[in-house]
Amino acid sequence: MDESIILLIILSLCLGAGCWLIFIWAVKKGEFEDVEKPKHRMMDDE
Amino acid sequence: MTNRAEHSCHHCGISFGWNPLETRTEDDTTQLFCCRGCQGAFRLVCAAGLGGFYSRDDRALPTVSGATSAPYRDDDLNRHVAADGEYCRLDILVCGISCPSCIWLLERMIARVSGVAEVSISYAGGIASVRFDPALTLPSAIFESISGLGFLPRPYTPALSDREARRERNDLLLRFGTALFLTMQLMAYSYSLYAGYFQGMSPAIKSILQYASLLVATPVVFYCGWPFLAGAWQSLRARSPGMDLLIAVGALAAWIYSAWALAVGRETYFESAAMIVTFVLVGRLLELSVRRTALSGIEALYAAASQRATLLEQGGHRDVPAADVRPGDRLLVRQGERFPVDCLVLEGETEVDQSLVTGESVPVLVQPDSEIRAGCVNIAAPIQVQALRPVGHSYLMRVAALVRMAQAGKPALQRLADRIAGWFVPAVILLAVLVFAGQYVAVGQGFGPALMVSLSVVLIACPCAMGLAVPAAVLAACSRSAALGIILRSGEVIERLAAVQSVFFDKTGTITMGQPQVISFCTFNGLDELEVLSAAASAEQPAAHPLARAIVAFAAEIGLLPGECRGFAITPGKGIRGETEGSRRILCGSAAFLEEQGVPLSGRDDREIAGDTEVLVVIDGRLAGRFLLCDQLRPGAEELVSSLISRGLDLMLVSGDAQPVVDRIAAAIGMGRALGNMTPDRKLELVQSTQAEGRIVLMAGDGVNDAPALAAADVSCSLTGSCDIALENADIIITGDDLRRLATAHRIACTTMSVIRQNLAWAFLYNIIGIPLAMFGVLTPVYAAVAMTASSLLVSLNSLRLMRIKHHG
Repeated sequence: MDESIILLIILSLCLGAGCWLIFIWAVKKGEFEDVEKPKHRMMDDE
Repeated sequence: MTNRAEHSCHHCGISFGWNPLETRTEDDTTQLFCCRGCQGAFRLVCAAGLGGFYSRDDRALPTVSGATSAPYRDDDLNRHVAADGEYCRLDILVCGISCPSCIWLLERMIARVSGVAEVSISYAGGIASVRFDPALTLPSAIFESISGLGFLPRPYTPALSDREARRERNDLLLRFGTALFLTMQLMAYSYSLYAGYFQGMSPAIKSILQYASLLVATPVVFYCGWPFLAGAWQSLRARSPGMDLLIAVGALAAWIYSAWALAVGRETYFESAAMIVTFVLVGRLLELSVRRTALSGIEALYAAASQRATLLEQGGHRDVPAADVRPGDRLLVRQGERFPVDCLVLEGETEVDQSLVTGESVPVLVQPDSEIRAGCVNIAAPIQVQALRPVGHSYLMRVAALVRMAQAGKPALQRLADRIAGWFVPAVILLAVLVFAGQYVAVGQGFGPALMVSLSVVLIACPCAMGLAVPAAVLAACSRSAALGIILRSGEVIERLAAVQSVFFDKTGTITMGQPQVISFCTFNGLDELEVLSAAASAEQPAAHPLARAIVAFAAEIGLLPGECRGFAITPGKGIRGETEGSRRILCGSAAFLEEQGVPLSGRDDREIAGDTEVLVVIDGRLAGRFLLCDQLRPGAEELVSSLISRGLDLMLVSGDAQPVVDRIAAAIGMGRALGNMTPDRKLELVQSTQAEGRIVLMAGDGVNDAPALAAADVSCSLTGSCDIALENADIIITGDDLRRLATAHRIACTTMSVIRQNLAWAFLYNIIGIPLAMFGVLTPVYAAVAMTASSLLVSLNSLRLMRIKHHG
């Protein structure tokens, strides 16, 4: 019981940390610099 | 020629009444254009294979005046080029971007310049970032590709503050993202602990969950919450407690209490510490997204003035940077050029457009010995002038200096939340100390338990919803305002706007449209109205004067198109002459002009003129008709005035115009007080002296002449279409022509403030009830959970009420 809870906590932390790393990568890449652009960009044909 | 027609320009889309220019396209249809510029731009776009631009729905092309014809010089532009690997990078501020299509077109046109590797234009600031190969292309080619489309490119070096702001935003985003991720994990443990509190839980599992909570809560408090901890330390050192201190005290108290509780085996409240930090970070981020990225108004002013000048020397003229002009130099200023420095007219006569400098739209006649200020545009004929002062000492630069000083001295209102925190924090800490003393001395508890009770007082007193109370309401207000056509520069504007007591309005361009319009037309001696109007419109057609344009537009409105005009001649500032069909000699102009020409002016009533401008029409030597023109009020001006007065505000009209003209406009819109002959420094003085009386001032204006007053006022408002520096200094920007939006903005601000007060009151109420419970040591986790969630939810829902505000309702 105790072991399974510790395991689940570690598992959820790992999953969360994965998302967190993706988020950090996105910020560093400048994905959030110009949040206006994508909504217009998708209207372009090419 | 009186054919009735209304064409729509294929390029810019405006409706126009004069003869269209035609171009046959590849698929053999004929497209109509309003002017050569549009026709040229169309050919350029089609030649580049970007004809698809014309089928886009969202296009609205710019009409930037002053897209200069002077060639761009590489030695100037190279100063702004930065090396970037094997390529070079050039940042260009593109003026005149009005829609996503402009960006679409610009990006493709710039990308087609050979040697350009990459181009990206930001939607927020209109700044094009171009990477190019210096061996293949020159900066001037890139600039020309932009100006060829009718946009105005300016070299742009991002200010240090700009880069700083971007770094700060990314930093905050990282902290918030981390806090969000960790707090979500933490909530899972906390809810399990809540459940365990009621239903029972084995001590081993409880301590596992509590240690996991400690693990995730610690980075939230000390990494994500670092800005608040640092801010709190600074506010302590400055002895001015504020929001940061409240947040830091709350988060730290919760963390220390919980860490202690973990050690002695009691209930922990790590989620409390983490939630305070996360909620406040959301608030900070929301506030930051409201602020729009802008280049400083002063930089824009310098850009308007830093130009080139044509220096006259023996044996010809030479093109030099304006900065090299020395007082006493002889300069040539051609038609359509800006005056680079303050100067004195030597030879020639012309009219100048002073709208950038004074805000007044009607051109002024200048003759030898007249003084002209830098920044004015020569609109009629080339003239020779003598430079009076170097560029740096020109009127425009002095205004820039005034603006900078006014900005620096702007009184900052202490924010409501900070004010409350200012007395709340010391009160809570005092209470905590008293509780500790009471428990330790009076009740006789041990040192540890007594400290724990007093820490729990601090923890329970710190309202978590408080971090959300202000930003949630501000964000709702800002997004609602934006939907109603009102752009608020930052959240702080709302608080100041709601507190405004005195409002000053500039006249020309703010209360009025800034463009003269024909208000009445009559003929003399029984002549046919249409005939006289047609003749006048034909004769005025070649003139660029706003009065002439108003007459042509007036004729076009009732379906009269101007006909041919021969032998056209302008007498600057007075009138025009020309011959229309059937060799009829037409004279149009002021009464003084016609008297000079020896035309008898009997039979006309001077008294009707009042404060309007009169233009008389003479056909073949006989007085034929009269136009009365005046600057029209902006729509909604009267309603704005009456609704602001009904809310108890004190209004005043200020203008550079003569007193009688200002009085008349003030009377027309029901404004009680009006001041004429106001220069930029007198407007600034008026604002500052009113502030010195302790009143909070709103200034609405649109010209460079208003800029110092706008910068000094507590709240400033400009309309779209104002000059750059006015817009840069404006806290509120009203889009469109409808002035009533300012009244709506004021109403939104007042409602927002009452919502914020309700939010804060609720946030405190929940916690104040909890303080007595904490004091007697009966703090329960159930209470903490319910209070925190309920007050945060209530605050969010209450803020959403702002989204229902309607126009003028």
